[in-house]
Amino acid sequence: MLEIKNISKTFYRKEALNDVSLSVRKGEIFGLLGPNGAGKTTLIRIINRIVQQDAGSVRFNGNLMTDKDLAEIGYLPEERGLYKRMTVHNHALFLGRLRGFSKKDVLTKMDYWFDKFQINDWRNKRIEELSKGMAQKVQFICAVLHEPQLLILDEPFSGFDPINVELIKQELIEMRAAGKTIILSSHNMKSIEEICDRAVLIHEAKKIAEGSISELQAEQKMGMYAVRFKGSMIAFVNALWTGFEVIDKDILGDDRFVVRVKMRGENSFQDLLKVLIGQIEIEAAWEVLPSMQDVFIGLVQPKEEVSDEE
Amino acid sequence: MKNSLLIALREFKERIGTRSFILFSFIGPLVVLGMIYLLFSLGGNSKQHWKVLIADHGNLLDSKIMPGEDKAIDYAFYNGVLTLDDFANGKKFQEYDAFLEINEKVLSNKIGFVFYREAPSVRMQTRIQFQIERRLEEILIERFDEIPLKEYLKIKQKLNLTFADVYDPNNQSSKLEGWVGYFYGVIIFLFIFLFGMTILRSVAVEKSNRIVEVLLATTSPRQLMQGKIIGIGFSAFLQFVFWTVIIGAGLYFMRETIFPDLLDASKMNVNELIVDGANQSFQESHFAAREYNEFVELVFDRIHFVNMTFFFLIFFLLGYLFYGAIFAAIGATTGSESDGQQFVLPLIFLLFFALYAGYHSLYYPDSGLTTFFHYLPFTSPVVVMVKLATGYGVGEAYQIYLSMIILLFSAIIVMMIASRLYKNGILQFGHRVRLRHVFKWLKKT
Repeated sequence: MLEIKNISKTFYRKEALNDVSLSVRKGEIFGLLGPNGAGKTTLIRIINRIVQQDAGSVRFNGNLMTDKDLAEIGYLPEERGLYKRMTVHNHALFLGRLRGFSKKDVLTKMDYWFDKFQINDWRNKRIEELSKGMAQKVQFICAVLHEPQLLILDEPFSGFDPINVELIKQELIEMRAAGKTIILSSHNMKSIEEICDRAVLIHEAKKIAEGSISELQAEQKMGMYAVRFKGSMIAFVNALWTGFEVIDKDILGDDRFVVRVKMRGENSFQDLLKVLIGQIEIEAAWEVLPSMQDVFIGLVQPKEEVSDEE
Repeated sequence: MKNSLLIALREFKERIGTRSFILFSFIGPLVVLGMIYLLFSLGGNSKQHWKVLIADHGNLLDSKIMPGEDKAIDYAFYNGVLTLDDFANGKKFQEYDAFLEINEKVLSNKIGFVFYREAPSVRMQTRIQFQIERRLEEILIERFDEIPLKEYLKIKQKLNLTFADVYDPNNQSSKLEGWVGYFYGVIIFLFIFLFGMTILRSVAVEKSNRIVEVLLATTSPRQLMQGKIIGIGFSAFLQFVFWTVIIGAGLYFMRETIFPDLLDASKMNVNELIVDGANQSFQESHFAAREYNEFVELVFDRIHFVNMTFFFLIFFLLGYLFYGAIFAAIGATTGSESDGQQFVLPLIFLLFFALYAGYHSLYYPDSGLTTFFHYLPFTSPVVVMVKLATGYGVGEAYQIYLSMIILLFSAIIVMMIASRLYKNGILQFGHRVRLRHVFKWLKKT
């Protein structure tokens, strides 16, 4: 759906993007990750044709992207604003019409979205009268009103309470099911892990990882396993020898525990199970994959340490 | 273009809905009307009594002006030859505030000069002009007591009386018409400044609340800038319509009530005027009313308002585009609204300079500098208005079109430069503007 090849961009002497390539497939939710100042927003602006890249190309549905393709894109920027003195109705109408829709079409779609997000009662209120969360909803609606094929959301969950975060997540999942493609830039790693199919990580203007969420997690796994068992915790610890290290435990009650163990040396998951069998009653055991937060930190921090040393 | 119009419409709706717009639409013209009333009704100059020496070598006026006495002006007559230098420095002439040069030709060319020591008030100029004009009419009527109507209308022309400083004869004190033109020019620049600042604030607000990023994802920076300038321009135009209607209605009201129009020549039967022209008591009894009618005549008869308003609109439009683009570019390039205010200062100086240029052209209508200001896009809207009001000479009409073309092309060039600055500056946030940035943005496509 979207093919980005060798994009570079420099602002004055600061490199914002350096030879970044990635591809977003139709019907997926694609995470765009990276620390602050990594170049994510610049990349998003290039896709939206707000800024022009110095080198590289952007292809949309196989063709070099043009201004006409912008009608197929919905965009919710990170630092977003609204005209405070306009009413919710007029604001949505204005942005919908800027996207090329007739007034009639915009009004039809507005009815649908306002119902869905339950803001019909606020329709004729001025933006300045809305709470932050309500204004965020309006902004989201304005981004999706024209039913774009590609939706680009920069920090869509910021400012929302947990209920509304869930509402937005469900909406994104529904949109994916309807065949829409979504690029999601967020520091909310839990949400990325939950709803993204694939992700790219950009750091210091360069792409440092790309793949499905499970692939990224697998790349960063640290040889940690979890065991859920019934029995004595002392018996569990005694069964282990120096080849294993207990990282932490959760007490479930009724002498049941979940313990996370890290391998030392050449020991494997099989070795762990062998030493435990007969000592405790194993209910389940599995490999612990790192959270996306761990992946993020794992990928970004070592580089920062190196650059600090430099 | 469609997006520009949508943006323009939004800007227009937002402006006309504000309280300040409504207040300015009504209070502004009322203030102007009040100033016009004060200017013409109270005189406006401290010197209330004038002594005017009329150098009438051929004794054309027969050493008299008024059938009755005007307490504000004493006329004296000098039948010898009087030079400017004599009047300026001669001891015996020091008691006179001004001298009027009259010769036989005045009956045919209708041109006269008044040289003053201190510029007379508008009201005093009006009185002098009126009294001399009437006296010349009397002479004409005496000389040609039986003339056909057509002939009379041909010779009955307005006296073109030029007021000039006796110590600096090139400094020709404003013709009244010139002041009306200057007023038009001031209105142009007042509107350009007020609505230019509106553009600047609007751009700065969009920048600070970051909605500009959403807009730029749907429309180009150039369309955004154009839409903004057009939309705010339309609101300025609407305001101008309000001003025109209210000031027009106010002037009409003044004409009908405060300045009654008893002897409006346009309404009088010409034959009756000839008969009554010799009837001194009739003239005398209505003099007070007629004196005020000069103002009415100035406003309603001497100025070609349709013509003036037509060119006013064109020069307002072009001047607004010219300056409006600069305001938009400043708004886009600066990091914050307060930053923008600093950058506006030089522009305000430029606007004041334009007003000065208009003032200069009032006093030195034929100087080389006035010609330069007439074509300079920064100053032409006000200078052209002044010249339009005082009248272009025969064969000089091309000057106004040349000035218009220069302003049009300048506006296009400024719009192109401004849209480049706008495009490159609009997404720069929270920075301090440096000139090198501006030059870089200018170079970038």
